[in-house]
Amino acid sequence: MRDTPTGRFLAEFAENRVAAFAAVVVVAILLLAIFAPLFAPQDPYDLASLTLRDARRPPGWVGSTGIHHLLGTDSQGRDLLSAILYGLRISLEMGLAAGALAFVIGALLGTGAAYAGGRIEALVMRIVDLQLSFPAILLAFVLAALLGQGRGPLITALVAAQYAYFARTAHGAAASERQKDYVEAALSVPLAAPRVVLRHILPNCLPPLIVVATVQIAAAVSLEATLSFLGVGLPPTEPSLGMLISNGFQYLLSGRYWISIYPGVALIILIVAINLVGDQLRDQLNPRLKR
Amino acid sequence: MNPPVLSVRGLTTRFHNRAGAVTVVDGVSFDLARGEVIGLVGESGSGKSMTGFSLIGLIDAPGRIEAGSSVKLEGRELIGLPDRDLRHLRGRRISMVFQDPMMTLNPVLTIGEQMRLVLAAHGRIDRASARARSAEVLGRVGIPDPTARLDAYPHQFSGGMRQRVAIAIAILNRPAVIVADEPTTALDVSIQAQILAEMRRLVAEDGTAMIWISHDLATVSSIADRLCVMYAGRIVEHGPATEVLGAPRHPYTRGLLDSLPSQSEPGADLRQIPGATPSLAALPPGCPFEPRCGRADPVCTTRPEDVEAPPRGWRCHHPLGETAA
Amino acid sequence: MTGYVLGRLAQAAVVMLVMSALVFLGVYAIGNPIDVLISPDATQDIRAAAIAAYGLDKPLWEQYFTFLGRILSGDLGRSFVYGMPVSELLLGRLPATLELTLTAIVGATIVGVPLGIYAGWRPHTTFSKLLMGFSILGFSVPTFWIGLVLIFVFAVELGWLPAGGRGATLHLFGADWSFLTVDGLKHMFLPALNLSLFKFAMMIRLARSGTRETMGTDTVKFARAAGLSEWTVLSRHVLRLISIPIVTVFGLELGATLAFAVVTETIFSWPGLGKLVIESITALDRPVMVAYLVIVSFVFIGINLAVDLSYAALDPRLRKGGGR
Repeated sequence: MRDTPTGRFLAEFAENRVAAFAAVVVVAILLLAIFAPLFAPQDPYDLASLTLRDARRPPGWVGSTGIHHLLGTDSQGRDLLSAILYGLRISLEMGLAAGALAFVIGALLGTGAAYAGGRIEALVMRIVDLQLSFPAILLAFVLAALLGQGRGPLITALVAAQYAYFARTAHGAAASERQKDYVEAALSVPLAAPRVVLRHILPNCLPPLIVVATVQIAAAVSLEATLSFLGVGLPPTEPSLGMLISNGFQYLLSGRYWISIYPGVALIILIVAINLVGDQLRDQLNPRLKR
Repeated sequence: MNPPVLSVRGLTTRFHNRAGAVTVVDGVSFDLARGEVIGLVGESGSGKSMTGFSLIGLIDAPGRIEAGSSVKLEGRELIGLPDRDLRHLRGRRISMVFQDPMMTLNPVLTIGEQMRLVLAAHGRIDRASARARSAEVLGRVGIPDPTARLDAYPHQFSGGMRQRVAIAIAILNRPAVIVADEPTTALDVSIQAQILAEMRRLVAEDGTAMIWISHDLATVSSIADRLCVMYAGRIVEHGPATEVLGAPRHPYTRGLLDSLPSQSEPGADLRQIPGATPSLAALPPGCPFEPRCGRADPVCTTRPEDVEAPPRGWRCHHPLGETAA
Repeated sequence: MTGYVLGRLAQAAVVMLVMSALVFLGVYAIGNPIDVLISPDATQDIRAAAIAAYGLDKPLWEQYFTFLGRILSGDLGRSFVYGMPVSELLLGRLPATLELTLTAIVGATIVGVPLGIYAGWRPHTTFSKLLMGFSILGFSVPTFWIGLVLIFVFAVELGWLPAGGRGATLHLFGADWSFLTVDGLKHMFLPALNLSLFKFAMMIRLARSGTRETMGTDTVKFARAAGLSEWTVLSRHVLRLISIPIVTVFGLELGATLAFAVVTETIFSWPGLGKLVIESITALDRPVMVAYLVIVSFVFIGINLAVDLSYAALDPRLRKGGGR
């Protein structure tokens, strides 16, 4: 196991205890989210099972239906733990979908620009740079607001805000790759271009792109939560973590902290864990830091 | 004879990490008289730069100068001196010139400001006097129009001029000792000779003693009065420069001399010392040069003692120039 | 040098023009504001009159040029919702946002950079490690949630500070400012803290990595060998060497903070531009949205320009038209 490149990579990763723990947390959260119906004490979308008598009860409350509400209930009497598990699911779906789409678009744009060179490259990268200097949150916010609530508009907004990071990274890696002799040699063969991009340039851009991807997925999850909190993300029928936090905001002022705080804690654990994994990946994949 | 300005005894520096300790400077001893120039020679990794940094007390963790080492500057013991006191000696009584002037001067500060900071580090001085003193020293190291050049930035100087500026900063406070760590290596050959001549003149005028660290025997031989040849953190041979170069006792010194281009017939291959510099973490138990030495025999797996035959000395079981016993 | 400045200015103007067109198209291509302006059961006449009054019946390009011409003359249109000139509306809200964002970012820099330099100078102390742990948190935790926690802890539970609003203001230079009164400062403390945490974490990281890199260079070794004190090395040599990335980020973050103020202002009911733009988006108040975006883009391009020009001041190597 230790002899294969993957094995060595994993062994090196595991040497950093914090990162290894974070990776375990990420996997655990993924499993919890995927199998939410198995873990959740209650189906939070089943309105028939909710009763207002159980609304806004503190953590530890045993509800009228006999459910032990470990983290309390929200304003509609929903078990908060169940709502968080289902909310994690939505947040992760959005984050992963946006991250994957931004990855593909950005990588194609970046490597394509590097391959094309000349004016096209200059123009594309100028636009990318311009966009990078513009705060992602503002762009996503405006787009989400204009396109309206829903999954499609939200993902569009997130991708529009994030693809530029991938494009810049892919371009940087591809541009340095293109100058290498073997790529120039491969390019001198007629009609070899798409093959060269796919076989040579793109694989070499992958390590930095993966690092960017981890960070950007965490950012997408955070951004989604922020947008939903501001009311321009997902509709109330799809309560992501941001929506849960937003719903609890008004009760926070009367001291019922748990409705907002616990979904936030779940969100933070997720984001911090992804970022720690990303940090370690960056250290491992960046040859400049290798000793 | 006058007491030496710098007296080094058993200087030992180790780097400590989880795997253990690596000795980079191993029991180095020598005396430096006023106005004398000592050449510290060796391949890269032989510990010559580390010796230089140890002398001025600039070894960063995890490195440590070990107990039992002694460095006396003008009679004052530097090892164990509080940081504050040591700092006041650095740049005032003992200073250092580095290899690459591109890297040593701060690119975003004017020359005048960098010189003023060095003057101000060792006592109150107003801006006008600092400028006057800086311009005077810049003039001494051969910078034309020194007063105007005070307001220039390092990138506005050529490589050679930049090194002159670094030298000016080193002699700004008239130190007793200058440690010059390969100060000509990064320069063009023609500039090298100028800088070499300039430094020889400066130390002669001021009576400043100098330790000239270099891997290049050719330059060292043209400036040093005495030579210390280092290998694997130890001084393996020392003595007056002419004698060491003329009749080396240690096979390593012989090897260094043989690998100089001037020692080979034109067109013939350069002679090299076989093998590579050993890893300091895994030195052989005896003479560190044993694996690469043509004269090695089983005795060489024990550690050779210092042989002192003033004015020379060496560390070898089978020194050259002795009839085989 | 002059050529460089003129070139950058021309570039900025072009970018500005492109941005204004994008903003205009983006906002006008989607949504029909007339639906929110008048009730759905209004007569066709009233509807047509309203469309004509707001110029919504003209072709898009004509609307754009009218819009551009008006912007250049300082007229940003009238708010559909408030029925007052947008410029007046935005100018009225601008001071609140300005004082909040400036306090946040200046505070984050003044506190964050020295801490980051310390963490880079002595990376292995417990304090430095704590700082780094804190900065990872500061990076990861969403601003809006920190805002909620701040309100819950300091306003609800402890009752030390108000949960929202601007508090008492003082009139100066034709605008109302909170930072001039004690009550206003109390109101500003939590939102400014909320807004600054991310920048604070960023400044710490930036200063730390710059310092760590710089401490190993020959420049620092040479300065130490010349007997400079650690304080002088850090405050004169290191600070100057790391100032270029810090100024860059300071400038860019100034713009980003303006954007993030949207979140903080909403949470703390801070009546600034951000809160206004949220309201205008939900009400589809197009002139306000457009004006906000144009102003933010303008500020952004202005900041980028200022950052580029300040490089020349900070790095003498750039002053003579590129050089090497």
